[in-house]
Amino acid sequence: MKPFEYTTPNTIEQAVAALGPGTRAFAGGTDLLTLMKADIAAPERLVNVKTLLPRGIEARPDGLEIGALTTLAEIEQHPVIAQGYGALAQAAALAASPQIRNLATVGGNLLQRPRCWYYRNARINCWLKDGADCPARDGENRNHALYGGGPCYAVHPSDLASALVAFDAALWLHGRGGERTLELADFFALPVAERRTETVLAADELLLRLRLPPHPPETRSCYLKAMDRKTWAFALAGVACVLRLSGDKIAHARIVLSGVAPIPWRAAAAERELQGAVAGPDRFAAAAEAAVQEAAPLRHNGYKVPLTKALVRQALTALTNPACNSK
Amino acid sequence: MTTRLEGRAKVTGAARYAADARFPGLLYARILRSPHAHARIRRIDTSRAERLGGVHAVLSSANSPCIGWYEESALFDRTVRFIGDEVAAVAAESEELAEDAVRLIAVQYEPLAFDMRGAPAEPKTEQRGDLARGLREADVVLEAAYRTQTALHNALEPHGCTALWHGDHLVVHESTQGIFAVRDEVAEKLGLSPQKVRVITEHMGGGFGAKQIAWKHTVIAALLAQRTGRPVQLMLERSAENLAVGNRNATEQALRLGAKRDGTLTAIDVRIRFEQGAYSAGGEASDVIGTYLTLYRCANVRAEQRPLRSNAGPAVAFRAPGYAEGNFALESAIDELAERLKIDAVELRLRNYATRDQREDKPFTAPQSLRRCITRVAEACEWTHQRSGLGFAAHDWAAGGGWPPAEAEVEFRDGAARVVVGVQDIGTGSRTALAQIVAAELGIALERVAIELGDTQPEIYGPTSAGSATLATLGPVLQDAARRAKNAGRGRAVRADNPQDKSIRTCGAQAVELAVDRDTGEVSVKRVVAAHDCGRIVNPLLQSSQVIGGITQALGYALNEHRVVDPRLGEVLNANLEEYKVPTLADIPAIVNLSESMPDEEANATGAKGCGEPPIIPTAAALANAIYSATGVRIRELPITRDKLIR
Amino acid sequence: MPGAPFAIVGAMTPLRVNGEHVELDVAPRRTLLDALRADLGLTGAKKSCDMGNCGACTVLLDGAAVYSCLVLAVDCAGRAVTTIEGLAADGKLHRLQEAFIAADALQCGFCTPGQLMALAALYDRVARPSDAEIMRALSGNLCRCGAYQNIVRAARMAREP
Repeated sequence: MKPFEYTTPNTIEQAVAALGPGTRAFAGGTDLLTLMKADIAAPERLVNVKTLLPRGIEARPDGLEIGALTTLAEIEQHPVIAQGYGALAQAAALAASPQIRNLATVGGNLLQRPRCWYYRNARINCWLKDGADCPARDGENRNHALYGGGPCYAVHPSDLASALVAFDAALWLHGRGGERTLELADFFALPVAERRTETVLAADELLLRLRLPPHPPETRSCYLKAMDRKTWAFALAGVACVLRLSGDKIAHARIVLSGVAPIPWRAAAAERELQGAVAGPDRFAAAAEAAVQEAAPLRHNGYKVPLTKALVRQALTALTNPACNSK
Repeated sequence: MTTRLEGRAKVTGAARYAADARFPGLLYARILRSPHAHARIRRIDTSRAERLGGVHAVLSSANSPCIGWYEESALFDRTVRFIGDEVAAVAAESEELAEDAVRLIAVQYEPLAFDMRGAPAEPKTEQRGDLARGLREADVVLEAAYRTQTALHNALEPHGCTALWHGDHLVVHESTQGIFAVRDEVAEKLGLSPQKVRVITEHMGGGFGAKQIAWKHTVIAALLAQRTGRPVQLMLERSAENLAVGNRNATEQALRLGAKRDGTLTAIDVRIRFEQGAYSAGGEASDVIGTYLTLYRCANVRAEQRPLRSNAGPAVAFRAPGYAEGNFALESAIDELAERLKIDAVELRLRNYATRDQREDKPFTAPQSLRRCITRVAEACEWTHQRSGLGFAAHDWAAGGGWPPAEAEVEFRDGAARVVVGVQDIGTGSRTALAQIVAAELGIALERVAIELGDTQPEIYGPTSAGSATLATLGPVLQDAARRAKNAGRGRAVRADNPQDKSIRTCGAQAVELAVDRDTGEVSVKRVVAAHDCGRIVNPLLQSSQVIGGITQALGYALNEHRVVDPRLGEVLNANLEEYKVPTLADIPAIVNLSESMPDEEANATGAKGCGEPPIIPTAAALANAIYSATGVRIRELPITRDKLIR
Repeated sequence: MPGAPFAIVGAMTPLRVNGEHVELDVAPRRTLLDALRADLGLTGAKKSCDMGNCGACTVLLDGAAVYSCLVLAVDCAGRAVTTIEGLAADGKLHRLQEAFIAADALQCGFCTPGQLMALAALYDRVARPSDAEIMRALSGNLCRCGAYQNIVRAARMAREP
């Protein structure tokens, strides 16, 4: 890595004041350090925020609060999350490896950059790095986007993001202008020419915390992930599913897809198929079909279409299987 | 159970590998590599790198001796021929500074046209009998084409060394499979007599064929050490491992198998193309045609292989080179033929059983051992082609018999032995197995044998650890030397020739049981059953480790591993361990090793043969056959990733 | 502004390594892995991929298994690091180390320190981990030689009776 200065401010205001071109916030570092080692990022200064931001999980009447510095291991192991927000615990458990989960923070996980092998190659000046074009579009794109592609066809690598969006999480940020909050779903935004990132995080902002609204105890959820090998890989496709039945009817459904778009992708059409309908195999098949209706496969990633369909169907089936008690 | 002699050293972190060598004033080196798949270097400016504080030397074509490398290239060629080709090198006081310095080397390239597909070069062809007649005589001719991918060794220890000079003597702590190969080649490149170069490999972290020869880093480190007057450590980064220091060549194999109704093979014809990369790196040339000529009894065979030269890193041997690739195609085709003929797949193999080496035209030393392995595996998995998700494959392997030259020295005094050999233990456990042979011959406990290896200085020659040859080569030599030492207190022996009238081979069989989720394309392998003829099993624990290790690598080869190249850019896109997917623990099924000790008395005095490579050979075909059995889908291409199976 | 930010560049980093207090004089960009190997001479943790993709550099940081190549040495101030060299106590092998030898849970041995530290993190908390916990603890460590089957055997052997 190139040399850099490393500072630990005493307050969050000092931290946000320091952020800017050439200065990056540093928490767990498991993505930023790999970007720096690959010469994709070369900040001159790192601002250590590990003593400044909230960390920890707290169940409150107005929802579950998760500090941005909470590690993936803490999320994976926390009984409240396993009990009431199963998809989130599963997403954390399926992410990366134990050693990464011990270091990686949920904030960093949401902010991580794509794994696209063109983006991660310092010799290739792809569109996301302010280049002219996306080499994946007509190139080796088996790992790339089905939805939301163009100009960038990379996929968002986070498993937790999909689960959190499926739980309608809200996010608190702190910048020079103070705190603001927005829906996590709105925090992610497709890269555009003027903003070639996956979020609307401003240059002077830090993530503070997430809040997941409370839900009735009969809410069930799960996270399924398809990988190239059995573990320790980014998603070829992933599904976060939150479901609530009222009798045999589906009262609430959220389906959010990982690994198929530059941002976590809400399968809204699938949700519409489910809302208010009687749960059952035919309805789930219809929802799975709807989930891939707008998929626009590239030359080599067409397999992600049946894969996504299968995962949606499998998730819905698992959550309504009386033998399964996933929450 | 006899455990590894170096077990304690390895589990405590005390075992020293090439990068663990520590010397006062140690400098760290890094190599600048070409960012172009093909280019001429117009100008190199190293001045900024040289001026960086902490940098002690910068080497490039401007200030290095012109040392030939590969056939027509050089240490720092002015033409670069693949992304990763070596351009210059730096020695500095830390790895970070060396990287900083490499970034400061300014090179002007003139990019040239490149070809990632590869132009075919001269073929190698072997044939016997009359292929045309054999095809005419056939009742059924199966015609099929198979493809295998470029695989990357990715041993966990990178290539590299620590080099230092004592006067005009060079000492290199090297991660290598061949201390004498490195010694001789480095001496030659540097214009030194071999006695002036000492190569030490006490422990090394895996090679699998990629570390059989001397690579540029050793000479570069030596030159930097000479230039700076300091010890220099040069270890390659993981990206360089995936670009520049070897791979298993990709193949295209178009074959025809002709057979009579009763299953008798009348013709075998194969045309193979394999990707060699930008340079012919030496070491073992890939013998993809090998198994076609020997595995089955057939009078009429024509096998041809043609290398493709492309602007990618050079291919070298990778555990059972040629045979892992060839076996996938041939053993898949045999299953396809069995189905056409409506003959049981195992039965078809036995009907064409070869008791002779048809390539060398000699009988095998152990002509029935393959039959034994086939039968054992078939019985163990209650073979029936009716069972869904079960697949079978047999294999042979032309090496494993060992060969001269090799030497050993044994001293025996006060009931204790000191053994000196010139081989290296690349992780297979040679150190232990060889010591056991001495202990057995002298009638003493293993604890009383001290074995020294991995050092060229004693000038006791040992071969490169390749071709599964170490045990079969050194075992008989040590028996001989120990016997002499028993009588005279000290004994030295050399490896005798193998019997000239017989052919030595290793062989075996495997069955794979798996399930396939057609909706997601996921393959779940449940069990692999294996039996391999390794002659006398000297150490069952170590033999078993080779079996589970080879099968583990084979599963990666069959299911996930694939070097991905963007032909428009000439880039290897997955030159790392994130996107080049080697198996994790979770990917491995139960592996059942049914190998029996079958001393091959005719092969050599120890009766032992190699077992390092055989286990990697038949797994891919057995797996592809199992997938066909489970799904009715015949996959003729590796790796068998989800996209090939998803409905 | 109260408490201006201070730079750690050039300052010493105090930490405990295998129970002993050390002070590292390292630049911020030096990873814990490089500090262990180059500054402290503890070469048990291996540099294999340097990107958190293989596990060969695994050490314990305050008891948790981490990739030392992804930890900055300066971030270890005031913390406890345990490496493979600290696993055996007074020359007596940890039961995991003995099990590895007995089960031949290694071949070339390069991944072995990382495998052992990943398991040590588990066994420090759980005397009788389940098979699932064992598999999980090892899921971030590659073994290219393919000794996995024996690594699991060793882990099972090391469970307290």
